[in-house]
Amino acid sequence: MSAKNSVNISFSVNGENFEDVTVPTRQHLADYLRSQGLTGTHLGCEQGACGACTIEMDGVAVRSCLVLASQANGSSITTVEGFDDEVMQKVKNNFLKHNAFQCGFCSPGMLMTTKEIISSKKKLSRDEIRSEISGNYCRCTGYQSIVDAIEESINEIN
Amino acid sequence: MKAPDFSYFEAQNIQDAIKYKSEDDEAVILAGGQSLLPALNMRLSSPSCLIDISKINNLNEIKIEGDFINIGALATHSDVMNNDLINEKLPCLVDILKMVAHAAIRNKGTHGGSIAYGDPAAELPAFAVAMDAEIVLSGLSGQRIVNAKDFYRGLFETDLKSDEILIAIRYPFLSHNQHLIFDEVCRRHGDYAMAGLMARVELDKSKINNLDLVYFATGDKPNIAQNTAKLVIDDRYDYEKLKKSLASEIDFAGDLNSSSEMKLHLATILINKILNKLER
Ligand SMILES: Cc1cc2nc3c(=O)[nH]c(=O)nc-3n(C[C@H](O)[C@H](O)[C@H](O)COP(=O)(O)OP(=O)(O)OC[C@H]3O[C@@H](n4cnc5c(N)ncnc54)[C@H](O)[C@@H]3O)c2cc1C
Ligand code: FES
Ligand code: FES
Repeated sequence: MSAKNSVNISFSVNGENFEDVTVPTRQHLADYLRSQGLTGTHLGCEQGACGACTIEMDGVAVRSCLVLASQANGSSITTVEGFDDEVMQKVKNNFLKHNAFQCGFCSPGMLMTTKEIISSKKKLSRDEIRSEISGNYCRCTGYQSIVDAIEESINEIN
Repeated sequence: MKAPDFSYFEAQNIQDAIKYKSEDDEAVILAGGQSLLPALNMRLSSPSCLIDISKINNLNEIKIEGDFINIGALATHSDVMNNDLINEKLPCLVDILKMVAHAAIRNKGTHGGSIAYGDPAAELPAFAVAMDAEIVLSGLSGQRIVNAKDFYRGLFETDLKSDEILIAIRYPFLSHNQHLIFDEVCRRHGDYAMAGLMARVELDKSKINNLDLVYFATGDKPNIAQNTAKLVIDDRYDYEKLKKSLASEIDFAGDLNSSSEMKLHLATILINKILNKLER
């Protein structure tokens, strides 16, 4: 029974295995991912409020600024870089079509939240979409175009 | 900001975690991390070690035990919201959890973590007090059960001893004439409330027989307003009278979002909102 300041972990990111890598215990998962060149995961607040760092861990959306890298041991992670399946291709096209990106800072988190909305298979009203993305800040678009893109994605895919 | 340095210990079972915690006063338990990690990232605390209990098996079970619904400490807010038993027996909890943070945070944040942390602005501690829940703690000398009312002592101060871990919360069933009604005022969906109220109402036809009012985001801990509840039973809603009564029994503490006067006002009108919900 002993505690350490770094740990060795194994996990997979977008299908690629990371075997027995050493991470400092105080490092959060977003910083680890970014240190590996996966800079699509953005960091805004590092306190759970802005949603830019949202990733998928073992099938559910989580804030990667509020998960320690050491806690990712054994897990399977998807980041925005791994959004290449048919469903996410359609979602990305709808974001482009509706101009739902401006600076793009919020986009990885918005796409991740959209992925979770789509996989819930629920038909959501515009108000419900707004409530679902209430945990993701966007400082550019005014949200209207993002709601448009998500609405069209739900109609197209579900 | 980035968290200060700490060591990390992944507990395999409850005994491991208790033993570790009892040997190191500065070590803290890590459950979902959705309150602890923001605090560390902001450097509001600097523990020596995080004892990660999140991988311990069977601590997230939700089941009926005698006259109680037992929610294991590690059940996440999402687990609770999606659980059939909770949706059937305690649907008000699902509605309450919709107001707790956002989906990605609810996927990690745990029921036990929220109860153990005792954030005065959080919904669940007030819910547990209003429901007269029992909190199950485990430490070096075994298990003990504390009533939620006695668990909260002050600002982020609970009855949890340094060698103890919260392992479950037990909620008694509501009978057919009892209702748990809640409402809160917040600036944005998912934000912590500016003031909120959990009311346990016992009805005799449409007359209120018994009423417990428990506030959150008003003071240092879940605030019980006993005298005010009696006034509500006697003459329903009288803004000035209730406000005066609330001011005399709760020590309202302002925060960044609202002054203590604002909270007193909101606490008063929340009673009206609850009564309106009851009539619907
Ligand atoms: C942006 C944001 C918004 C939020 N909004 C709300 C909100 O509106 N309402 C609300 O209620 N909450 C809110 N939360 C907090 C969230 O609900 C947390 O998940 C919860 O309060 C703590 O649970 P946790 O499992 O994450 O605990 P952790 O962060 O892991 O732990 C919190 C504290 O409790 C202790 N602890 C945890 N589990 C145990 C245990 N089993 N035994 C003993 N001690 C334990 C830890 O040592 C630590 O001190 C929000 C969080 C974020 C990041
Ligand atoms: S950086 Fe994680 S929520 Fe803002
Ligand atoms: S596009 Fe700039 S923050 Fe959303």
